[in-house]
Amino acid sequence: MRADGTAPGRPAPDGREDRELLRRCAREVVDVAEGIRAVSARTSTALFTPALTASARRRPRTGLPAQWALLRALTNKHGLGGSAITAPKGMGHVLGTAGEVLGRESLAALVAVTSLRLRIAAVLVDHPEFVRDPGMRRLTEAVTADKDLAAVRSLRALFRDQGAQRALSGLAPLMAELLAIRALLDEDPYNDETGWALATGRELSADPLHGVSAARLAGLDQGEGAAEAVGLTDQERQVIATKGSFLGFLRNIETLSTNGRILLQNVRGPDGVVRYVLQAPGMAPGRPRTDSPQDFVGAWRNLFMPDSPYTRAILLALRDYGIPRGADLALIGHSEGGIAVMNLAQSEEFCRTYRVTHVVAVGSPVDNKKPADPRTWVASITNQHDIVPVLDGRGAGSAFDPHPNWYEVDYTGPTHEFPLCHMLHEYIEHLRTVVPEARERVDEALAPYRGPVVRTQAYQLKDRANPPEGYPFLTLPTTSLPTTAGPVDVPVRYYDSSAAHLCFAVDADTARGLLPGVTWMTPSRLGRRALAVLSLYEHRCTTIGPYTEIALSVLVDDLWRPRPYDVALDLLRRVDLRRTGRYVVSLAVTSEEARAVAREIWGQPAVRASAEARLTGRDLAVRSPELGLAVDGRLGPGARCPEADWILYGRRGESTIRTLVRAHGGLRLHSGGGIRLRLDTGAAEPLAGQLRRLGIATARPRLVLTCPQFMLHRSAGAVLPR
Amino acid sequence: MVTESPDRTSYDAELLDRAEALRSDAELMDEYARRLRATADTLVGCPAAPEWSRPTLERQAAACTTAAEQLRTAAEALRAHAGAGD
Repeated sequence: MRADGTAPGRPAPDGREDRELLRRCAREVVDVAEGIRAVSARTSTALFTPALTASARRRPRTGLPAQWALLRALTNKHGLGGSAITAPKGMGHVLGTAGEVLGRESLAALVAVTSLRLRIAAVLVDHPEFVRDPGMRRLTEAVTADKDLAAVRSLRALFRDQGAQRALSGLAPLMAELLAIRALLDEDPYNDETGWALATGRELSADPLHGVSAARLAGLDQGEGAAEAVGLTDQERQVIATKGSFLGFLRNIETLSTNGRILLQNVRGPDGVVRYVLQAPGMAPGRPRTDSPQDFVGAWRNLFMPDSPYTRAILLALRDYGIPRGADLALIGHSEGGIAVMNLAQSEEFCRTYRVTHVVAVGSPVDNKKPADPRTWVASITNQHDIVPVLDGRGAGSAFDPHPNWYEVDYTGPTHEFPLCHMLHEYIEHLRTVVPEARERVDEALAPYRGPVVRTQAYQLKDRANPPEGYPFLTLPTTSLPTTAGPVDVPVRYYDSSAAHLCFAVDADTARGLLPGVTWMTPSRLGRRALAVLSLYEHRCTTIGPYTEIALSVLVDDLWRPRPYDVALDLLRRVDLRRTGRYVVSLAVTSEEARAVAREIWGQPAVRASAEARLTGRDLAVRSPELGLAVDGRLGPGARCPEADWILYGRRGESTIRTLVRAHGGLRLHSGGGIRLRLDTGAAEPLAGQLRRLGIATARPRLVLTCPQFMLHRSAGAVLPR
Repeated sequence: MVTESPDRTSYDAELLDRAEALRSDAELMDEYARRLRATADTLVGCPAAPEWSRPTLERQAAACTTAAEQLRTAAEALRAHAGAGD
């Protein structure tokens, strides 16, 4: 089978017809699924009806067989399935929930998942590039499993794995389908309604990711919101548009950046009437949260709430700005800004106060919202590869169009990578070059606002409810250091990483040969052997961008006073008091920023090489064709270990660089039996030659330390006079 | 004094209605099986259709048929129970 799930030997998918056929079939199958679900519900009602319960008590000879026949029909795994019992309360509810928690899917859910899988296949016809995506690889394994239960198991594993979810973020056009499958298959019976709504195109009342209701979300989101009038910098004032236009408003939003400010402007229209324009920026994808309500978490939370800290803060800003009652108001928003302005537009009270003439949302998930004033003109501009607009559950594979009267543009832009494709400057560029007709159409609609700007005021919005990302572990004072790849804040913070450390016992003299040619650096000995560690990392979110890292290091003794068993004693010390550490003899990273930081700040011999790592599950897989290195295998049972802080050593010129690494996350120790390292290159450097010299080129590690998800920070390297 | 439950007759009538509904649902499940098989057949000619689609749809159609039989059995049992009286 090919990676896209189609059979080999068949002609490659050539587009429209196949896609439409798959979507039609998906629609037909989901109709059937809904029908089966209704049958299950009626059969459940029959089983638990008081008429049957009471009469069966009086006439058990015929009543019990009737109850048994109904129970059998509802629970037979070759029929309606394990959790087909649906009842809002009582024993029926307990049985249905138990079936789901035990992982027995109902036939209705399995058929709905088949429909969603067909929708995914339809999207793949348009997006063959997904085949190369690491997230897609895992997704393909899951959705192409030829047995329902195998597919269910793989998908469940995939959705439990947060690392995979991040990888899947590149598959934005599929996100609605993935979220629906997740809601239908996970053990949480409370989010099934969300899964069904996504599968069948009904209106959502819950967050598609978690499937929790808006009412439950309200309890999570108690930020009060605040707004304060702030001045623009001289530089900003120079670039703020002086005349109203669609791209001008978007450029204003871009100028404001995503640091929690909005802009309000008075525009004198061609008819001489002064109108008002609210411009709301979006969130900062991939960046840590600040105290601003504009962040990714906020966007997801606020998506299904008409009221959010962002919306509340905007209302305060509007009140302060002093817009007269009944004045014409246009709302322009990007990303979460678009959600916030749609939240405003769907408030009846807001629409009674102001006449909301236009709402333009760019890269925003607004499909589940509807303005309170039917006269409001709404435009939604989205790039198909942008994950954010599909957070409301309407993806590219969807055949449902909830707003036939809106002006909606869902184009395929040249930028596919998230978060790049979500950035406003990409949207502005695409509106200029890829979909200029959309820009013209919106400008035409905004004609009453196409005049000189007569007043501009920025407001700083605040949400005091959210702590910063990684708080408190990653809340640290930082210093900016220059590198050839640009300034870098240290400590470098890693918000979401996975790691596997493969530990090998190696010949001490050979290990010594890999260390710098100085007398005072010696490998730590365990008996007559030294310890070499091949560390594999998948860093999904860091302050220097995501990257994969492969590092070979050797444990070394105290640089001044080496003693036997230093390593063992050091393990009992706090990390900042340790004298032993790991000298990094070779390092490969996949990004230029990471290479520059490792070389210039930590003194490690970093090279840039492509690599793919999958370290979040029991099956480890790391491949770097450039290095000729592959590590794969299945981890055996493991035991929990204390968190692994450590010291890394590097060299810069004649000095040794000591870097303190602190980690936070569950570390486990496994035997190395199931993991194999393979070298497929004759090259001597980098890495391969050293692995060969250490005699571990094809060896199995003694021990493997793993951490499927953790946070860490690496300090600026301290220069030692050694 | 002995009192007759006023619900007894209405209960039996309700059970007969339920039995009839189960029988209709069994017909529906047969229809769903047919629709799933028809979808599987439609996908045979589609080069972009995943390989798993046909066997999966066939399997789910078979489950619909099994469910239809079991619903008929349940309807029969329920009808017998309602007809047994006191």
